[in-house]
Amino acid sequence: MTKKKTALPKKRSGPSSPRHTHGQGHCVDLLRQLSAYIDDELPSDICREIRRHLGTCPNCEIFIASLQHTVTLCQHHPVPPLNSADRANMRRAILDGANAR
Amino acid sequence: MRATAPKPPQRPAMQEPDEFDKLYRDHVDLIYRYAHRLCGETESAKDLVQETFLNAYQGLKDFRGEAKVSTWLYTIASRACIRMRRKRKGQPEHELSIEEFVPTSEGEFRLQIPMDGLSPEEALQNKELRQALDQAIEKLPQKYRMALVLRDMEGLSAKEVGAIMGLNERAVKSRLHRARLFVRRELSARGITHHGDHKSGGLRS
Repeated sequence: MTKKKTALPKKRSGPSSPRHTHGQGHCVDLLRQLSAYIDDELPSDICREIRRHLGTCPNCEIFIASLQHTVTLCQHHPVPPLNSADRANMRRAILDGANAR
Repeated sequence: MRATAPKPPQRPAMQEPDEFDKLYRDHVDLIYRYAHRLCGETESAKDLVQETFLNAYQGLKDFRGEAKVSTWLYTIASRACIRMRRKRKGQPEHELSIEEFVPTSEGEFRLQIPMDGLSPEEALQNKELRQALDQAIEKLPQKYRMALVLRDMEGLSAKEVGAIMGLNERAVKSRLHRARLFVRRELSARGITHHGDHKSGGLRS
């Protein structure tokens, strides 16, 4: 199995990590590409650039993790099952409707 | 004027209603799930399922089988959903811009959701989280909700979603991205801290 490009960078070890103030243009540019990044649709050089940015911008790192969690929750969103009585009633109503038209 | 089911290429007429019964039996759960995710509640979902299969019944004889049956039904359901919404005269759709999703305070970056050590299925046993997710999806303007539901919840490819919604892949991805950002923002605005209803929060039909 190939390694996913979307793996988040490891936690930085201490306060010596380079940081910058979130909200600069690069962060907004990143925001535009996050779904493509999560979905592995970006070229490798852009992914590298994003990972480099995430290593210096904790807020972007937190943000992308929260977006990934959101997508994961959506992917597992449950729906209550249809019961057999409803299934049968709807079938009857559809056939009645078709005959009436 | 009533919109009809999408016109597929010609093939020999199907034997109704036997073929309809098979179509219904094989796909009703799929379309109900899709309808429920689009409508957000049971009764509207059932209305949409009926409208979908009624249109499918009428279009069955013209179905040529070039597209997958499920794609054909998703398309019929999507169009029926748009028509039903127009009839209800809901609020006009508004466009979502990327700029509105740029966090402006520290608290907006993360989700305040208890997910650590839990699988997504376990996390979603939390009734409060499930309701927050449902409400976020329901608040999405319809065209964004449809892209999110088809791509992330139904698991279709961007190409398939494009075929169903009549969009190119780029437009699908743009809508999907805005929809995800919208749901993320809605969830981040909710502080979900309650862990304890994993057993009582099961789904009910």
